[in-house]
Amino acid sequence: MIKLKYENLMKQFPGSDLQAVSELNMEVPEGEICILVGPSGCGKTTTMKMTNRLIEPSSGHIYIDGVDNREIDPIKLRLGIGYVIQEIGLFPHMTIAENVATVLVEKKWNKEEIRQRVDEMLELMGLDPEIYRKRRPSDLSGGQRQRVGVARALASNPPIMLMDEPFGAVDPITRARLQNEFLRLQEQMRKTIIFVTHDIDEAIKMGDRIAVMNQGKLVQFATPDELLSMPANEFVGNLVGGNRSIKRLNLIRVDEVELRKLTKLTVAHTRQQAAEAVENNPLNLAVVVDGQGKLLGLVSRSSLRHEGEQVKDLYTEVHDIVGLGSTLNDTLSIMLGYGDGFAVVVDREGKPLGAITVDDIFSAVKEDE
Amino acid sequence: MNQISVGFLQGFTDGIRKLWEFFVSRKEALLELTVEHIWIVLLAVLIAIVLGIILGLLSSYYKTLASIILPFTQIMMTVPSLALLALFIPILGIGFKNGLTALVIYSLLPIVRNTYTGIAGINPRIIEAARGMGLTEWRILIKIKIPLAMPVILAGVRTATVMITGIAAIVYAIGAGGLGEFIFRGISGTYREMIMAGAIMTSILAIIADYGLKAVEQYLLQRQS
Repeated sequence: MIKLKYENLMKQFPGSDLQAVSELNMEVPEGEICILVGPSGCGKTTTMKMTNRLIEPSSGHIYIDGVDNREIDPIKLRLGIGYVIQEIGLFPHMTIAENVATVLVEKKWNKEEIRQRVDEMLELMGLDPEIYRKRRPSDLSGGQRQRVGVARALASNPPIMLMDEPFGAVDPITRARLQNEFLRLQEQMRKTIIFVTHDIDEAIKMGDRIAVMNQGKLVQFATPDELLSMPANEFVGNLVGGNRSIKRLNLIRVDEVELRKLTKLTVAHTRQQAAEAVENNPLNLAVVVDGQGKLLGLVSRSSLRHEGEQVKDLYTEVHDIVGLGSTLNDTLSIMLGYGDGFAVVVDREGKPLGAITVDDIFSAVKEDE
Repeated sequence: MNQISVGFLQGFTDGIRKLWEFFVSRKEALLELTVEHIWIVLLAVLIAIVLGIILGLLSSYYKTLASIILPFTQIMMTVPSLALLALFIPILGIGFKNGLTALVIYSLLPIVRNTYTGIAGINPRIIEAARGMGLTEWRILIKIKIPLAMPVILAGVRTATVMITGIAAIVYAIGAGGLGEFIFRGISGTYREMIMAGAIMTSILAIIADYGLKAVEQYLLQRQS
């Protein structure tokens, strides 16, 4: 079912000779993330803003569920579409709870409903309501603010979301984490999302379909795989970049790869038991877990050289940790960052599930081709 | 200590004693004038707050209005108050209402400017987010623009209040009453203690206004961030 239809959309700003958007035709199916990607000035943000009429087109139509958005009252339209921008735009004079509740207040929900919903949204975004409800935006880190921004947009459960570089203002590690969490949410929510970015890797990772734009025109509208294997022209080819195999690392997740098994030891195990576990493992590694099964560290051949007769003296901390939702790209980055050829995979609670090596990653990409 | 310093100190303590006696003996008149003074200042500021914020808001929405009002306020604030008042007399005439009008005009200036700059200084991304979420212009004004601009507007109110507390001493000259009576009568009658009483009370009022409003500003700023 087509949720959004862009028909012959044109926009020329007064005082400019250029067409900011020209002859855009595109259909976005319901429940998909449609990425708008391209260099600065290509018209992606303008297109996004014409969807909720923050900018009015010079000509052409945008149909939402078959209805021309010009026939809908702009305020009603916007109240029904989630809006997230790069700088987030949290209201500094209001608490986090008040920020998240913004649209709900406009929709005249009652106090109790609002309270419940705000708490739900904060929890959904991984922010403990007890702690964060009363805080102010200035108390939060960039990543936390971004989460609040998304919570605010999701609060009234709009079927459509507009997101303009929503994860742009944070460091790459936090960005990767936010992207993964959002994708996980989207699996449940299945919202129709217009997502603007200039980062082709983000586009490939996040998009169900990608619209590549340049100088106001739609150059190619395809799935990430099609884009990588059949770029429409030189421009798209260059945008996607060489090394498309590496790009495909963004399309495969850790949970699609078979993990290597690791023996689990506790701090009470003996040196002998640890040495046995390490030797019997093809990677020469064993993991150490605590009373709840959560990852504490690793025992390796080199860590066995430490003094002590119990595992508690014989293990080292491990830095290369990834979750099941991480892409192979993130995993490889972490491995390269720490200089190890492997990473330990953990579940949501931090319990180790196995290991993944550089070779595993390469095989996975090869197989995919 | 030499003769001169002793003489100076003697004269100084004498002067203080005479001033104190003046305060005590004329306390009813002093109180009446102080109340009159406070009253005219308060009235002027309240009227100016209403008018000033409205004008400031309109300027933030209509650029042409802003381009007229802002340079105008800039000029008015630079002209010395006595000269400006002298200019007002032929236009406004004399009496309490006229003094009040002059004070209102004076107070308008910083309040309009600060309302305008307070709103203009808000991060446009915040306004964009609000608009994109579906808030109407009116709701944006009430929920976001005014609260965020409030500290700056209040600073303007403070400037206005302190300024006209002083100028109110002069509006006596156009028949508006207030502590100016002591100052001017004292000058024409060469009654030193009367001048000082008028001047000191005016200064005290100005200082109280300044500190009092500053405290309100701090409180609001704290609540916001």
